[in-house]
Amino acid sequence: MTLTVLVVADALLDRVDLPWWVFALAAGAHLAWAAVVPQWRYLVHRWEVTETAVYTQTGWWARERRIAPMSRIQTVDHAEGAVERLFRLATVTVTTASAAGALQISGLDRDVARQLVDELTLKADAVEGDAT
Amino acid sequence: MSQAPPEEWQRLDPRMLLVHPVREVVRFLPALIAILFAGRAAGGEAWQALGIVVPVAIGVMRYLTTSYRVAAGRVELRRGLVSRHVLSTPVERVRTVDLTSSLIQRALGLTTLRVGTGSASTSDDEKLDLDGLPVDRARALREDLLRASHADDDQPADPATALAEEVVVAFEPGWLRFAPLTGSGVVIAAAALGVGAQFLELAGFWDSLDAEDYESWSGPALPLAVAVPLGVLAALVVVSALAVGGYLVTNWAFRVTRRPPGPGGDWHLTRGLFTTRETTLDDDRVAGINVTEPLGVRAAGGARLSAIVTGLDRSERGSSTMVPPAPRRVVERAAVAVLGHDLPVTGPLVAHGPAAVRRRWTRALGPAGVLAGAAVVAVVLGAPTWVLAVLVALPVAGLLAADRTRSLGHALVAGHVVARAGSVVRRRRALHVDHVIGWNYRATWFQRRVGLTTLVATTAGGSQAVSVLDVPEDLAVRLADDALPDLVSQFRG
Repeated sequence: MTLTVLVVADALLDRVDLPWWVFALAAGAHLAWAAVVPQWRYLVHRWEVTETAVYTQTGWWARERRIAPMSRIQTVDHAEGAVERLFRLATVTVTTASAAGALQISGLDRDVARQLVDELTLKADAVEGDAT
Repeated sequence: MSQAPPEEWQRLDPRMLLVHPVREVVRFLPALIAILFAGRAAGGEAWQALGIVVPVAIGVMRYLTTSYRVAAGRVELRRGLVSRHVLSTPVERVRTVDLTSSLIQRALGLTTLRVGTGSASTSDDEKLDLDGLPVDRARALREDLLRASHADDDQPADPATALAEEVVVAFEPGWLRFAPLTGSGVVIAAAALGVGAQFLELAGFWDSLDAEDYESWSGPALPLAVAVPLGVLAALVVVSALAVGGYLVTNWAFRVTRRPPGPGGDWHLTRGLFTTRETTLDDDRVAGINVTEPLGVRAAGGARLSAIVTGLDRSERGSSTMVPPAPRRVVERAAVAVLGHDLPVTGPLVAHGPAAVRRRWTRALGPAGVLAGAAVVAVVLGAPTWVLAVLVALPVAGLLAADRTRSLGHALVAGHVVARAGSVVRRRRALHVDHVIGWNYRATWFQRRVGLTTLVATTAGGSQAVSVLDVPEDLAVRLADDALPDLVSQFRG
């Protein structure tokens, strides 16, 4: 987000002559964001899988905890972005029939993620019904 | 016409040959008008006929290349000439069947049958529409599809009860009084203005206007103090008339029936003045209800009701309207019939405690206070005194906060999660716990500081979720725990 602010400020610098401290302020905000928010997110982020449900906790300012019963899981997604692949990480997304109920576990170690996907697929498969 | 067995590929009704060209001409209307104007300017004549021939040809092509069948437990629709497109869905996935007849189809005794499967796809190409079947054949096909999708229910098909129906809601002309209070007139007026302005632009109307015409206008001059209220009044009358008209067109002959009567029967919804629409909802798919009261309608003692239907999302709201804006008692009676219990509809709700009340007040008064403060400072610094009129925001915000506080509440009764909130648009939602497919707890830093959280019960229909705003955290956990035992409790601590 701050990155866009920086880019916009940069683009504006050509046309309007912004004082240097505006740029410095934006850079400072960006640095502060980069220093604090990921740490904060990391501290908040939790996930857990039991026999009957999946649970995640994410966010920083607004904290969200999501619980999906195993019987309602529809798909289990495994995705690796370009940056994630660089660090051997992966994101697992568990969706239910509700658009409001997808659980995302990001920044997992690739092997852990694969195991998790297998485990979830097996458990979700064991339950009957069309999960709606 | 020879009636082929449904297992064979069948064409739609040949009378669609009359409907398609008309529809294509209407769709090409802007282009046609442009061609007409351009043609007049250029002086050409023969090529203008293309404007008629092309739509007609498209219509004929569409008829010849579309066919459907019901075979081996699947409904299949095949269409397209260059890129062949086959849509196929298992019959047991059929959730709703809609029959829509436009005016021209009604004149020919035809209807469009739409099969709703709850697919998330929004593209028109992916919709299973059998556009153009004779009404009786469409009705028969609907019965077949719904019976097949019920096959696992083992319901004995008793012909006597299959025909009986129970009328739950029937349109009364008196409901029209709620139409001007809904704000739909403003939407229609805006749309009409937009389309009208475009046509005028196409016709070169704006260019012919000249500001000097107004200055030399010699009609009776009205003082501003009379002209402005008069203008506002005229606008109100027009908007109200449009709202009543819109209400009439969509909701004329609105009827909700249950077949067979009694709990468990399928819901049949019929409505429309020109374009009629029949929707059939499988009772198993009805997950809950949503009673909506916009401020104006609520003040007049009205409300509207929609069903939360699994597999139907907000974009298909038309299919799930159970009662259009109507008196509260009608809405409540229908809601009780849908849920089979009156407590989720009219029963008392648990209040959310002092922290939630404080939050209502700070959230309403905060912005209003800032605004009022800014106005006072501006006046002190020399702005004209009428700026102080902004201070009205304070009592308005106060009223809003008080009303929101009164609205806020939740309950878990008769197997339903019930939540109510809002003031300008007050909503009471009730969702059966069997249709809750997950829980979200969401809390911002401000909410956590005072021990509140927003509990969201996710579901596969309607707006996909029922949220209980600003509940104390322990109450939220207990609510989820009571609704679906052992699910939330295993993650505590």
